[in-house]
Amino acid sequence: MSIFTPTNQIRLTNVAVVRMKKAGKRFEIACYKNKVMSWRSGAEKDLDEVLQTHTVFVNVSKGQVAKRDDLSSAFGTEDLTEACTQILAKGELQVSDRERQSQLEHMFRDIATIVAEKCVNPETKRPYTVILIERAMKDIHFSVKANKSTKQQALEVIKQLQQSIQIQRAHMRLRFVLPARDGKRLKEKLRPLIKTVENEDFTEQLEMVCLIDPGCFRDIDELIRCETKGKGTLEVLSLKDVEEGDEKLE
Amino acid sequence: MGHTSLEKIIALQKKTPHIRNLCILAHVDHGKTTLADCLVASNGIISSRLAGKLRYLDSREDEQIRGITMKSSAISLHYTTGGNEYLINLIDSPGHVDFSSEVSTAVRLCDGAIVVVDAVEGVCPQTQVVLRQAWLENIRPVLVINKIDRLIVELKLTSQEAYTHLQKILEQVNAVTGSLFTSKVLEERAEKDAEAQSSCTENGSGDQVYDWSAGLEETDDSDLYFSPDRGNVVFASAIDGWGFSIHQFAEMYSQKMGIRSSVLLKTLWGDFYLNAKAKKIMKGAQSKGKKPLFVQLVLDNIWSMYDAVVTRRDKEKVEKMVTSLGLKVMSRDLRHSDPKVLLSAICSQWLPVSQAVLSMVCEKLPSPAEISAERVEKLMSVGARRFDSLPEQTQELKKAFLDCSADETAPVIVFVSKMFAVDSKALPQNKQRPLTQEEIAQRREQARQRHAERQAANQSAENALCAQTEALSVKTAVEEDNKEHFVAFARVYSGVLRKGQKVFVLGPKYDPSLALRALPEGCSAADVLPSVPHMACCTVDSLYLLMGRELEELDEVPTGNVLGIGGMEEFILKSATISTSPSCPPFTPLNFEATPIVRVAVEPKHPSEMPKLVRGMRLLNQADPCAEVLIQETGEHVLVTAGEVHLQRCLDDLRERFAKIEISASKPIIPFRETVIRPPKVDMVNEDMGKQQKVAVIHQVKEEQTKYPEGVQVDSTGLVTLTTPNKMATVGVRAIPLPEEVTRLLEDNVELIRTMEQFSLFAWEDKTLDINQKILENIQEFKVKLESNLQGRKWRGAVERIWAFGPRRCGPNILLNSVEGYRRPSVWQCLEREKETEKAEIRDFDNSIASGFQLATLSGPMCEEPLMGVCFSVETWDMKLSAPLAQQDSIDEDSQTAEPNIDNQNESSDTHETNAAGSSVDCYGPFSGQLIAAMKEACRYAFQAKPQRLMAAMYTCEIMATAEVLGRVYAVLSKREGRVLQEEMKEGTDMFIIKAVLPVAESFGFADEIRKRTSGLASPQLVFSHWEVISSDPFWVPTTEEEYLHFGEKADSSNQALKYMNAVRRRKGLYVEEKIVEHAEKQRTLSKNK
Repeated sequence: MSIFTPTNQIRLTNVAVVRMKKAGKRFEIACYKNKVMSWRSGAEKDLDEVLQTHTVFVNVSKGQVAKRDDLSSAFGTEDLTEACTQILAKGELQVSDRERQSQLEHMFRDIATIVAEKCVNPETKRPYTVILIERAMKDIHFSVKANKSTKQQALEVIKQLQQSIQIQRAHMRLRFVLPARDGKRLKEKLRPLIKTVENEDFTEQLEMVCLIDPGCFRDIDELIRCETKGKGTLEVLSLKDVEEGDEKLE
Repeated sequence: MGHTSLEKIIALQKKTPHIRNLCILAHVDHGKTTLADCLVASNGIISSRLAGKLRYLDSREDEQIRGITMKSSAISLHYTTGGNEYLINLIDSPGHVDFSSEVSTAVRLCDGAIVVVDAVEGVCPQTQVVLRQAWLENIRPVLVINKIDRLIVELKLTSQEAYTHLQKILEQVNAVTGSLFTSKVLEERAEKDAEAQSSCTENGSGDQVYDWSAGLEETDDSDLYFSPDRGNVVFASAIDGWGFSIHQFAEMYSQKMGIRSSVLLKTLWGDFYLNAKAKKIMKGAQSKGKKPLFVQLVLDNIWSMYDAVVTRRDKEKVEKMVTSLGLKVMSRDLRHSDPKVLLSAICSQWLPVSQAVLSMVCEKLPSPAEISAERVEKLMSVGARRFDSLPEQTQELKKAFLDCSADETAPVIVFVSKMFAVDSKALPQNKQRPLTQEEIAQRREQARQRHAERQAANQSAENALCAQTEALSVKTAVEEDNKEHFVAFARVYSGVLRKGQKVFVLGPKYDPSLALRALPEGCSAADVLPSVPHMACCTVDSLYLLMGRELEELDEVPTGNVLGIGGMEEFILKSATISTSPSCPPFTPLNFEATPIVRVAVEPKHPSEMPKLVRGMRLLNQADPCAEVLIQETGEHVLVTAGEVHLQRCLDDLRERFAKIEISASKPIIPFRETVIRPPKVDMVNEDMGKQQKVAVIHQVKEEQTKYPEGVQVDSTGLVTLTTPNKMATVGVRAIPLPEEVTRLLEDNVELIRTMEQFSLFAWEDKTLDINQKILENIQEFKVKLESNLQGRKWRGAVERIWAFGPRRCGPNILLNSVEGYRRPSVWQCLEREKETEKAEIRDFDNSIASGFQLATLSGPMCEEPLMGVCFSVETWDMKLSAPLAQQDSIDEDSQTAEPNIDNQNESSDTHETNAAGSSVDCYGPFSGQLIAAMKEACRYAFQAKPQRLMAAMYTCEIMATAEVLGRVYAVLSKREGRVLQEEMKEGTDMFIIKAVLPVAESFGFADEIRKRTSGLASPQLVFSHWEVISSDPFWVPTTEEEYLHFGEKADSSNQALKYMNAVRRRKGLYVEEKIVEHAEKQRTLSKNK
C-alpha cells in the first residue's frame, strides 16, 4: 500500500528508455531524450549528460530496479555504470523526435547532394546546385525513408524529378575498341544503349568514343565481354561528362 | 517659356558650335537631379512649381522610392542667351558609389561637367571621385555650390560666417583639383625621367645632373581652379529655384553704384570691402574687420529675403522687396500657408537658377567642335598603345574628330557607352497617337467584321476553333510586345548618322590594323566583306532623341549630339564604336571607378524556370555596364555587382523586367581544399610538444579505436596497409605533404600535365602523339624545376617515380611509385621518346591503383573537398592471384602484351568457367573495382594518419584609403581574419594603398562593410590569389595541462578550421559531429501533471 506523497518519489520526466535483453532478463536504463544517438556517435562524451541515473532497471516506468545477481550474471560485473554503458551501446532505443528529425534532414541533404553530383542540366551540361535540387525535391513532395539507403533513394528521386525539371544523369564517356569481325554485328546491338557517338573510326578495328547513360554501363560491358570473348576493350574516359571551368554569360 | 518643339531641336542639332554636351556630377544627395529638374522646368517640360520635387529624370520606380538616381539619363534642352540659341544635351548621373559605372558612361559622352557640391557637407568622397573622373576624361568642369538655403535655415549662419564657409568649400574643391594636377605632373615627370635615364645609360655618359625641382613651377595650372570671379562658380539653392553667379550681381550693382562692372567682377569675391565714404573698393576686409564685398552686396540681400519670407513672414516687407525688385508674384502664392512656395515664387523670378547655370555652361564649357587634340588621342589609343603606333589611316581620322564636321563626306564616328532597356511601350513607334478620321473609320469597319464573324462562329463549331487560333495569335503578338528593347546611349563625334545607314559596329577589342589588312581599300559597310574579329556590319534601325523617360524619333543626327540608337542589341554587348570607316579604332574602354565585387548566387524559386533566369541574366548583363554574370563549374549562376544597392537594383530588374520570375539570391558556395602537413612542433599554447605529459582523456582513447575499422593497419610512421575484401591484394600507402613550391608548380602547369597524360594514353595504345618542340621544352623545364624543388633524402628519385597526378589526372597531388621491384613507364615518357631502350612492364591493375588515387584526391575525408599538395606513396603492393585469372586480366588491361598462346588459353578457360570467373575477368568488374576501392580507402586512411589541415581560398585585396580612415580599415580586416601584407603611400596624394589577404569565406559583405565603416573613403578590390593552409587543426582538442588551462575542457573558443569544415559538411548533408541537444536537463519537460 503505497501512499502517493511527492517527497518519497523520484519521478523521472523526459525519459528515453534504452532496453536490452541479456541472459534471459530484460534490462532498462533511463536516459535523457535526444541524447542517446549523440552518445553512440561519439559527439557526447559526458555520461552524466546522457543517463538520468546510474541505475539499471527492470522496468523504468514502474521504477523496478534490476537485481544485483541478474546484473552480474548478465554483464559480468556489479558496477552499475559499466552495465549502463554496455546497455547504452547495444540496447534498443526509442529514437526521440529531434533525433529523428535531424536524421531525416541529414538524409534529405545527402540525397540532394548525390543527385546534384550525378546529374546535369542537359541544356547547359552543367550541374544543378544542391539547394536547387532540394527545392525541387520539396516541390514534388518527396519524403525520405529512413530505412532505405540514400543512394537508392537518390536514384528514385532522379526519375521523379525528370517530370518537373530539365535533369538527366550525367553521361559517361566510353571508348571501346572492337575487332573488325565483331564490330559490325555488335554495333547494331550497342546502338540502342548509346546516347551519342562522338567519334567513330572503322578501319582495321572499330574504335568508338561515345556517351552513355551510366545505367547502361553494365549492359554494354557485359555485351562487349561476352560477344568478343575478351578481345574488345572498354575504357571509361570520364565518369561524368560536364562542362568544366567558369563561363561568362554574354 | 513654352515647350520646345521637336523641329526646333532638330534644327539646333545642326549647329555644332551651339551645342553643349554636359553632365551633372556630384556626391550622392547633393542635389543633381533637383538641379536638373530646375533646368528641365526652364524648358517648360515640367511645371516650375514641381521642379525639385518631381525628379523628372528619375524615371524608374525604385529611383523614386529610394530617392536616389540609379542610372544616367539624358535630356535635350533649348536655351537662348544674347541672341544665340543653344542646344544643351544634359545628362544626369547617379551619385551613389555603386553606380559610378553609370557616371563613367555619362562622362565619356560629354564635353563639360557641372560639379555640384553641397554647401553644408562640402567635398565628399564621391565629389573627389567625380572630379577625378572628369579629369581623366579631359572634360572641363564648372562648379555649382548648392543648398545655400541650408546655411540660412538649418545652420542659421550669419552672412559673414556663410561667406567663410563657402570660401573653405571652394578651397577644398580646388585642393582636390590641385592634387589631381600635381599627380599628373609628377607622373609625366617620372616618365620623362625614366626616358632620360634610359637614354643616359645608353649614352653611357658619366655625370648625371639631377633636377630636384618637381616641375610643378613650370606648368601653369591657374585655369584649372574654380573661382567665382572667373565665372565658373554658381551659388544656388536648386530646391528653392534660385542661383546666381557673380556676373549677375556685378552687372546689377555697376549701374546702381557707378562702379565699372569689370572692377566689381574682380572684387566681388575676395578680401575686398566698400569704403562708403570714399566710394571706393579697398583691399583687406578681414584685417580691418569690415564686411567683404560679397557679404555686403550679395549674401546680405539673400539673408534678408529669407528672413522676411521664411523666418519672420513679414508680409509688408516682402511686398516692398518684391516691388523694389520689379517682380510680379501671384496673389495665390502670397497667400499660401507654406512660406517656401512664396520664396521659390520670388526667387525663381529674381535669380532663376536655370538662367545662372545655363549661361555659365554656354560661356565656359566647350562645344563639341572645340574638342582638344589631346583628348582625341587619348580616346583613340586603346590601352597602353601609343597613338603613333596606330595605322596611318586611323591617325588620319584624328582630323575628322577635330573638325567635327557634319559634312556628307565626313566619316561617321559614334561611340556607344551603354545599352539601356526600354519597354516597347515607351518606343515612339508603339506610342499611341491620336487617330486620324480614316483610321477611326477603318477600325469601325474591322470591329463590325469581327462582330459578324463572332455571330457566325456561334453557329458552327469549326469557326469557334478558328477564333481560338486567332486568339492565340493575338496572344503571341502581345507577348512579342512585352519584349525588352535595347537602346544604345551614344554620341556622334563626326559625320551625320542617318536612319537606314550601313555602318560598322566595332567591339572594344577590335584592331583596325588587322582589319585594314583583311579588307579591301576603300570599302564600306554596304559591301559584302570577309568577317573580321570584333566587327559587324549592320543597318541603323532607328534613331532617338533622348528626352528623359521619353524618346522622340529622328531621321538623322549630326555630329556633336547625344542620341539613342535602336535595334543594336544583336551587335553590341555593352559598349562599342560605330563608324563608316573600318580604320576607326575602338574607343578606349570606359574607366570604371568601381569594379564589381559583391558576388551572389542567383537561383529561381521554381527550378523549372532555369532557362528564363539564364535569358534574364543575359539581358541584365547587356543592360548594365557594371554587372557581371557567370555560370560556375558548380552550376551556380553568379551575379557580380558593384555594391549592395546596385545588387538590389539588379535583382529587382531581373525579377520585374528581364526574367520575370521569382528568384532568390544567396551566398555563393565557397571552395576549400584539404591537405596534410608535417607534424607541428609546438602546441596551441606555443609549448614544445612531447615534453609535457598528456592528460588522459577518455574520449580520445575511444576515438582512436573508432578511427580505423578492422582490416586496416596503421603503423606509427603513417604507413597504412589495407587488403581487398577477397584477400587477393594488399596495398601499403603513405601520405606525405608536398613542399609549397611544388604545389604551386603543379598548379601552374596544368596544361603541360594534361598534354603529358594524353601522350602516355596514346603510348599505351602504341600510337604516338606529336607534341611540338616548344611544349616539349616547357615540359623539360617543368621537370627540372620539380627536381630542384624536391630535394633531400626523402625525395630521392621521386620525380622519375611519379605515377600519376590527381585529381582529374592533372591536379596538384602526386601518386608516387615506391613499390620495390616495380618499374613502370614514367609519366615523362614523352621526353624520352628517342632514348627509349628498355620497355618497362606495366603491371596488371596498374590502372586501378591510379583510379583509386584519383577518386581519393577528388574528395578528401574531412569534408569531401579536393585534396591539394599531398603526395601518396605506394610502398607495398602484393597480389595473390591465381595465374589464369591474372593472365585474363592482363589481356583486358592492355591487349598489347597479350600473346597468342595466352589468348588460346584464355579462350579455353573462358568456356570452362564462364560463370565462375566471368565477373572477375573484366578489368572493371568486381576485382579491379575492389582494388580501386581499397586504394581509395588506403589513401584516405593514410591522409587521416597525418595531421590534416583545411586550405582556404584567399583573395588579395587592395584598398585605397585616406589616412584618417586607416584605423577603421584595419579593424574590418582583422575582424574578418584578414592579414595586411604591406601599406604604402601613393605618391603625390594623401591616399594609402594597403595590400592584404583575406579568406574568400569571409569576403561576403566585406566590401560593403569597409565602405560603410569608412564612409566610402576606402574601396577594396578583391582578386583571387592563392590557397592557404589554415593553421588551426579542425580536430584539435586540448590535451596538455597548459591547453586545459588556456582553453578549458571543451575548448569551445572558436576553431576557424572546424567552423569551416562543419559548414561544408552540413551543406553537403554529411555527418557533423555535434550534439542535437547541448544540455540534457534544459529540454522542455512534457510530462503529464501528476
